[in-house]
Amino acid sequence: MAAGRFTLAVSPHLHQKGQTIERGMTDVLIALTPAGIVAMIVFGMNAFYVMLVSVLTACLTEVVMRWVLGRKHTLRDLSAVLTGVLFAFLLPATTPLWVVAVGAFLAVGVAKELFGGLGRNIFNPALFARVALMVSPLWLYITKFPRPFFYRTVGFFTPVSVAINNEVAGRVVYRGLFGSVYPDVVTAATPLSLLKSGKMLATTISGPTPVGSTWVTVAGRPTFWAQFLGVHSGSLGEVSVLALAIGACWLLYRRTIDWRIPAGIFGAFLLVTLVTWNYPVFSLLGGGLWLGAFFMATDWVTSPMTRRGKWIYGVGIGLTIALIRLWSPLPEGVAIAILQWNVLTLLIDRYVAEPRFGEVGRSWLNRLPPYPKPGKAEPDKPVPAN
Amino acid sequence: MELKTFRGGIHPPYKKEATAGKATVKSSVPGEVVIPVQQHVGAPNTPTVKVGDRVEAGQKIGSSEAFISAPVHSSVSGTVKAIEERPNFTGAPTNSIVITADASQPDKWAEKKDVSGLSPEQIREVAKEAGLVGLGGAAFPTFVKLTPPKDKPIDTVIINGCECEPFLTCDHRLMMERPDDLIAGLKLMMKVVGAQRGIIGVEANKMDAIDLLTSKVSGEPGIEVVALEVKYPEGAEKMLIEAVTGRRVPPQKLPSEVSVLVQNVGTAIALYEAAALGKPVVERVLTVTGPCIKEPKNLVVKVGTPISHVIEQCGGLVGTPVKIIMGGPMTGWAQKDLTASVVKGTSGILALDAATVDMNAEQRCVGCDQCLDACPMFLTPNLIVKSARLGKWEEADKYGARDCFECGACSYVCPSKIPHVAYVRKSKAELAAASEVKGGA
Repeated sequence: MAAGRFTLAVSPHLHQKGQTIERGMTDVLIALTPAGIVAMIVFGMNAFYVMLVSVLTACLTEVVMRWVLGRKHTLRDLSAVLTGVLFAFLLPATTPLWVVAVGAFLAVGVAKELFGGLGRNIFNPALFARVALMVSPLWLYITKFPRPFFYRTVGFFTPVSVAINNEVAGRVVYRGLFGSVYPDVVTAATPLSLLKSGKMLATTISGPTPVGSTWVTVAGRPTFWAQFLGVHSGSLGEVSVLALAIGACWLLYRRTIDWRIPAGIFGAFLLVTLVTWNYPVFSLLGGGLWLGAFFMATDWVTSPMTRRGKWIYGVGIGLTIALIRLWSPLPEGVAIAILQWNVLTLLIDRYVAEPRFGEVGRSWLNRLPPYPKPGKAEPDKPVPAN
Repeated sequence: MELKTFRGGIHPPYKKEATAGKATVKSSVPGEVVIPVQQHVGAPNTPTVKVGDRVEAGQKIGSSEAFISAPVHSSVSGTVKAIEERPNFTGAPTNSIVITADASQPDKWAEKKDVSGLSPEQIREVAKEAGLVGLGGAAFPTFVKLTPPKDKPIDTVIINGCECEPFLTCDHRLMMERPDDLIAGLKLMMKVVGAQRGIIGVEANKMDAIDLLTSKVSGEPGIEVVALEVKYPEGAEKMLIEAVTGRRVPPQKLPSEVSVLVQNVGTAIALYEAAALGKPVVERVLTVTGPCIKEPKNLVVKVGTPISHVIEQCGGLVGTPVKIIMGGPMTGWAQKDLTASVVKGTSGILALDAATVDMNAEQRCVGCDQCLDACPMFLTPNLIVKSARLGKWEEADKYGARDCFECGACSYVCPSKIPHVAYVRKSKAELAAASEVKGGA
């Protein structure tokens, strides 16, 4: 009989088999696969290179940053891979690869590791990097979207000035460092920038429409099916509503994400667009709403935990997106809305009270005990004799 | 058949096959028993015997004047060898009475009395004198539960036959082997509290027990058997009440708040034994199982028997056990060796190998909220942990630290393997200490 000592540990002594962080991450990666395939069909190998560089940079950044910060690398949990893929999904397929690398570094290196690593990050890393690039001198690279089915590869290095100077009549000419010129990457307005610019009302648009009439209405905007299947310009991952919906079903089926957040987002967004009657279906299918609602807003770390918190967060994001799209100069607002609510999550988790079992009518405000006042340094008093 | 249940909970692998079909057998009497003087939740007992005293099986050897208490009795005939502090099953040193057992033990408590003439007061007295506590594991004095506040009448008595903990089958065996005693015990309880309705709640993975009990209660007015969904923790008091009656016990209140009394299968049978045979709680059925037990069994074991003796009765250990657990795998206590003794609340002894228990290291919380979905009390386990780590005990309580009954569902589903229950226990201890200080000042 083995009479040795046995392991002491607090109960429970059973843990769900295969229930790990990497299982959740794998689920999301599987769910993103259809959208990735669509991106490669619509935008060609460019899409693949962007994803590849983004993932590799994300992983490398994690290893290096954690080494610098004196932590063990955690590549096994796949969160760096997922961040890489998600960040790539937010970019136009023609983004020069060095810009992709810079962004992926910002995502993992700054938004995640500098905040303390997975579990401590306040912002969704991919969205953080995307918005950081938007407000940087590199903004032009990630705001020009190629038309579908233009399978040209861009050089790895393309100076900013070249891109800006050569922007003529809706065309962006990228030039590689070694002199090669790629003049025929033709960009197109995304559905939402069409909407914002008022071109929805125009009967014709100027410029080439190489895709043909199948995917574009006479008014020059993508048809319903083009939007649904993903044949319109936009960032890599957001174009195909169908592919994203398939992935979302998988995540909901696996219970990797909670249905309340996307339900809140879609509900609130639809409510506003229906009330204002601002092309509800068109704006529902165009843009990053689906990618954001199912894959970005539901990020474990940066979304609230409680049911009530999730409703507040979801509805809040939906309203914010609608407000940005309707009344700001920006065509798109998913990224900014989610980042805003990422911050508010800190408050929601602390102050939104969840009713406990058997508790009826609990107020929504969690009255937390006040922080103890910072102790005033007592002046040196003589200690009483007794 | 529609199965009743509650919100939340988990579906661990049940692994009851090894012992579910095995009839209970009597364990041999060990040469020496170690009986902790305190085996219940409540006021501590003091020993009523001295070293060198001769004691008979069933003799009271420890008691207390306090209301919330239950006396302990000698489980064997023999001589008191020592009264000293020994680590109990939680590892805490506990005043214990060591008794050397005689070579031959008398066969007592064979004569059955009729119990129909007992008044509620007499039944309460019987429960108190027999040292009856909840035999499901919590070990709350039964006598106290049978004395509900005057302003809160009880209308329903529920017998907890869920046995939702994996591995354990002792309650299952009791229901199969002693259904008549169980129903008699239930009737005694209904009489004590004046309840009209008696319900036996059984999880649907024990269909044989459900069928047997249903046929047995067919002629009994007011008593029914309810099949419940197989889910952990279906057998937790508040979850069971909700599943069976649809009533929710308010936070930090007792079941009497919703006019319900819940008792475990073993407790009901023990109450009947105490009333009919005059037998105090000196032995209990427990399940000895796990991949590292040679012959898993359901054993009738004397209170005070050391774990090592119980495991020897089952052919000893095989393979490489990494954890020995007293109780079920979800709420039981890990043992560092085999010296602790069986107490009234011990429902099982498990020897588990590394393939069964997950020994992965704890990682950081990623906010996946699996623990919130699993929590049957709708608490926020990960925020309890977060607050407790910072030493903010009151904040931990806001997220539900004191509402937690430590079922461990949160840790079971946690991808980061966070031991929530440890933080909850720490928070509870700190909160209790803080309120004592406040009360005293």
